[in-house]
Amino acid sequence: MNKKTSIFGGVTIIALALMVLMPILLPSVTLATEILIFALAALACNLLLGYTGLLSFGQGIFFGGGAYSASLVMLHLNFGLISALITAILVGALLALIVGALAIRRTGIYFVMLTLSFSQMAYFLAYTFSDWTGGDNGLLDVPRPALTLFGMTISDLQSSEAFYIFVAAVFAIVFVFSRRVIHSPFGTTLVAIRENEGRSSAVGFSTNHFKLVAFVISGAITGLAGALYAMLLNFAPLSNVELLMSENILIMTIIGGTSSLIGSILGAGSIVLMGDLLSSIWPRWMMILGAVLIAVVLFLPGGLWGGILSLTSKFPWKKVKTNVTSEVTK
Amino acid sequence: MNSSYLLETSSLGLDYGAFSAVGNVDLKIRKGSIHTVIGPNGAGKTSLFHCLTGERKPTRGSIHFNGENLTSLAAHKRVSKGMSRSFQITSLFQNLSVRENLRIAAQGRDGLNALKFWVPETANKANVAKADEVLERIKLEKYADRQAGELSHGQQRVLEVGMALCGSPSLLLLDEPTSGMGVDDIPIMTGLISELGKDHTVMLIEHNMRLVMSISDRITVMHQGNILIEGSPEEVKGDEQVKKAYLGESGHE
Repeated sequence: MNKKTSIFGGVTIIALALMVLMPILLPSVTLATEILIFALAALACNLLLGYTGLLSFGQGIFFGGGAYSASLVMLHLNFGLISALITAILVGALLALIVGALAIRRTGIYFVMLTLSFSQMAYFLAYTFSDWTGGDNGLLDVPRPALTLFGMTISDLQSSEAFYIFVAAVFAIVFVFSRRVIHSPFGTTLVAIRENEGRSSAVGFSTNHFKLVAFVISGAITGLAGALYAMLLNFAPLSNVELLMSENILIMTIIGGTSSLIGSILGAGSIVLMGDLLSSIWPRWMMILGAVLIAVVLFLPGGLWGGILSLTSKFPWKKVKTNVTSEVTK
Repeated sequence: MNSSYLLETSSLGLDYGAFSAVGNVDLKIRKGSIHTVIGPNGAGKTSLFHCLTGERKPTRGSIHFNGENLTSLAAHKRVSKGMSRSFQITSLFQNLSVRENLRIAAQGRDGLNALKFWVPETANKANVAKADEVLERIKLEKYADRQAGELSHGQQRVLEVGMALCGSPSLLLLDEPTSGMGVDDIPIMTGLISELGKDHTVMLIEHNMRLVMSISDRITVMHQGNILIEGSPEEVKGDEQVKKAYLGESGHE
């Protein structure tokens, strides 16, 4: 019952440690930034898939929507960094509200098909409205505005190190926020819906309202990730809204493990790293990704994080274990 | 409307196509009583139960609860009106602890207030207290931190009733509470239900005749979708029609 402190303890400390270690251990800071951005998207996907039990192929819509909207308000309306990110959060939330409100009217396979259809529609919309989105070429020359708070310029964020620190700070805030969401009346109800929707309804929950709010929160975080990605690349490619993006986010979530938010960092990390390392060696590296996904699903049903947990539980390494198992059973 | 009744149905019926699962049922459940509905298989008990919980929309007739017409109210909204149910097929949150099962069930009373995602789940002390209270009442304190799925079948059946209890209901609807329980466990359930009957109105469907006869204040016997008779356990026990209805089938129990 000491959950009050746990949103800053336990896995949050592991997440912070990873954020500090990544730029040191990885070949480039930009790579670490990309990992954290996709970890945000995977974490948002995890809220739906891991905690609510909703397999959504619509994550690319929110990611692309966030990237486009932040880019457009910066290019045309001269929005600053924070206001552009807030725009992306709101647009991601709004898109998720629309997709969610319609998709959760059905369950199971029909729900999945609806998110899939929305995903395809969003892609063709982005492709058609090329005046706004740049179509196939993507939206070019996306700026990365300076970070100013209360009129004070803190950093111009032009160096990749500075941008990494900014993204890491955003990630830390979202991570703690998500831990709060999970350990709240709302979050525990989501888990109840995942476990047994019929019973959840019988004890008095209007389950569709809960699913919809989960969608909106997930869309908001994914939109934020999309905006950061556009700022990282100085570019908002059409591939952001492709079905492949939704798939990638799902694969990261599943490979990392759906029982904990840490899994989302591991999942994003391993896929981004594999892409970076293997694509230079072998252009067909996606085949290896497929094999890894099959292996994880067959042999590590808890994902990478689940695998690490079962390893550490074999060692007398109590402190980590107790912190961590409480997260998993939640 | 007689106020000594908590629940009253009038000409309640449920059709599946041309087949009438529930014909024309006037069921009255007196406040503070333990009221059992029995009947051979296919008598329409479960269909009637589904209408009362809101899982099925009745084809005709009405349901009044506490003087309020709830006939077409959605199932999840009946909890806040004071109705709470258990399931014939155990329906728990298998991977959550026993205490968390109960706390979430208590949280169900909050309705949309449970959408709060910015406070800890333990912020609503009333739900935590309710879970602890029910835990004690169903005597599963020892297993509070165990996963629900790890409990024995008998304990799961008890937890099933406990979760319904967390809704702080004025009417407790129990769908075959002893379903699948071993003979050794049944006395525990019998004791629990008669104990709950002291401060709840209980309506249950049950097949175990010994339990039914020992704890019920009123018994309604259903046959082919309609009420055959209703009376005290003694009246029902001696009734010729009831014997015929049961023996006419395969001598169930």
